[in-house]
Amino acid sequence: MSKKATLVFSRHGESEWNVANIFTGWVDVDLSEKGLGEAKGAGELLKAEGLKIDVAFTSYLKRAIKTCNLALEAADQLYVPTNKSWRLNERMYGGLTGLDKKETVVKHGAEQVQVWRRSFDIPPPPLEKDSKYHPSNEAKYKALDPKDVPDTECLKDTIARVMPYWEEAIVPELKAGKTVFVAAHGNSIRAIVKMIEGISDDVIPGLEIPTGTPLVYELDADLKPIASPLAVEPLKFGRYLGDAEKIKAAAEAVKNQTKVG
Amino acid sequence: MALGKAPPAPGETGLGVTALDVSTLETYGTHTLVLLRHGESEWNLENRFTGWVDVDVSEKGAQEAINAGRLMHEANISLDIAFTSYQKRAIKTLNLALEELDALWIPVTKSWKLNERMYGDLQGLNKAETTQKFGDEQVTKWRRSYAVPPPPIKDDNPYHPKLDPKYKNIPKKQLPLSESLATTIDRVLPFFRQTIAPQLRKGKKVLIAAHGNSLRALVKILDNVPEDKIVGLNIPTGVPLVYRLNRNLKPVELPGHAELISGAYLGDPEWVQAKISGVKNQAKAR
Repeated sequence: MSKKATLVFSRHGESEWNVANIFTGWVDVDLSEKGLGEAKGAGELLKAEGLKIDVAFTSYLKRAIKTCNLALEAADQLYVPTNKSWRLNERMYGGLTGLDKKETVVKHGAEQVQVWRRSFDIPPPPLEKDSKYHPSNEAKYKALDPKDVPDTECLKDTIARVMPYWEEAIVPELKAGKTVFVAAHGNSIRAIVKMIEGISDDVIPGLEIPTGTPLVYELDADLKPIASPLAVEPLKFGRYLGDAEKIKAAAEAVKNQTKVG
Repeated sequence: MALGKAPPAPGETGLGVTALDVSTLETYGTHTLVLLRHGESEWNLENRFTGWVDVDVSEKGAQEAINAGRLMHEANISLDIAFTSYQKRAIKTLNLALEELDALWIPVTKSWKLNERMYGDLQGLNKAETTQKFGDEQVTKWRRSYAVPPPPIKDDNPYHPKLDPKYKNIPKKQLPLSESLATTIDRVLPFFRQTIAPQLRKGKKVLIAAHGNSLRALVKILDNVPEDKIVGLNIPTGVPLVYRLNRNLKPVELPGHAELISGAYLGDPEWVQAKISGVKNQAKAR
C-alpha cells in the first residue's frame, strides 16, 4: 500500500515593511495587523479542508514563525512539532535591504530593479558588512558557518541553500507519508515549487505566490506530485485553498509593488 | 493589545527593579535552566478544574507571558532551546515570552510529558460545586495530597483524552485517566533525564514553559524537595524561575533564592513575594 504524503505551503502575510514598501530580505520585521489576520485565515482554511498536520517547518524570521504558530492555532494544531531553519528564510536582498521600493525604481530605473527583483541569477549589490542590517550582527546566525551568511542572493543562490534542507529535513517526513506544513517566504517557497512543478529558470522568478493562502500538494510514494484539476497556470500540481478570484487578485497586488505612478 | 488600555502600573509587572542579572548568575554553577509557569487561563477565570483540557490563556495570561519575556530581557538572559507541553496555554506563553526576548527562532520541543497533572473525572467541573458535592476534605485530598489521584476520567466524559487528536499516538497504557503529583513526576522525570538533561550538558541555556504541577515535578527532581513540602509549594505564574546547575546538574543555591528551593525568581522581590503568597498586588508608584 503506497504512502501518500501531503505538502502544504503558506507564504506569510503582510509585514510591517510590506506596508512601508521597503525591501526586506533577512531583516526580521513583524507581521502587520493584516498579516496576523492572514495567518489566522490560512489556519482556518487548513481546518476547513480537514488537513491534519503531522509536522511543520518554518524559517528563522518571525513573520514566518508567527504565521506558522497562528495558522496552527487556528487549525487547533498548535501542539504539532515545528522545526525552524535559516535555510527557509526569504531571499537575502543585499544592498537593497532597507530601501524603499518605489524610490529605488526612480533611482535605478524600473528595468534594473525588475532585474534585481525577478532575475534568476543576477543578485542585488552586496550589503556592506558594517550595515546595521547585516545578518552577521544577529545572534540567530552566530552558529552558522560564516560562508553561509550571505551578503546578497539571487533566486539561484536561495534555491542552492534551501534544497539541502528540503532533502535532509522535509523529504524524510514526506517519504513517511506525513502531512507537512511549510510556513515560509515567497522565494524559499519558489525554490521548492520550482523543483516539484518542473518550472524553468526564466519562468520561476515571475511566479507570484499569494500570501496567506495555503498551497497544497499531494505526492505519491515516490514523492512525485499528483496533478490537480484545481491547479492554476503555471502550476500543474499545486492547488490553492480558498476563493479563486481572491487568489488571482492577491497575486496581482504583489506584482504591483514596484509600479510607479 | 487593545488601544486606549492603560499600561500596567510598575507595581503590577515586577519590572524596573533588576534584582538578578545574568552576569551575576553566571558566577554560580555552569548551566542555565529557566522555568516558567503559564499565566491565567480561561478556566482559571471560570474556576474550573482544568488538567489536560486545552483551554486558552486569558487576556491577562497573555500579558503575564509578555511580562515574563520582558523580565528575562531585563536580566539579560539569553536562551538556546525551549521545552513546553502539548497544551496551548503553555505553548502560547512560551511563544509570547520568546518574542519579547527576540528569540522566536530557537528550537522548541513540545511534549505531553510536560503537560499539567491530569485531573481525571474532575476535569471541567466547577471547583466550588465539586467541594459542595464531595466535601472540602475530599477535594483538598485530591488537590493537595502527594499520591492520591482524583477519580479516573469516565469513558463517556467529553474531556476524555482519547477524544483529543493530540494524544492519538500515545499508547493506550501510557495515557493517564487520572494523576497524582507522584504519577506526574513519574512521567516528567524520564523526559527530563532523556531529553532535557542532554541539552543542558551540551551547554545549552534551557527554558521550560509548563504548568504548576509539571514544574513542581521538575523542582522536586532538581532540589529534592520532600513530598510533604512539594505539594504546597506555590510556583507563581508568569515569573521566570532561574536555576544555575553545576556540571552534575545539581542546583547551586542562588542569592535571593526562594524558600525551599535553590532557584531565584526574576523581578522586583516584593512583587515576587506577593505573587508567591497569592496576595493581590497593590500598584505602587515608582
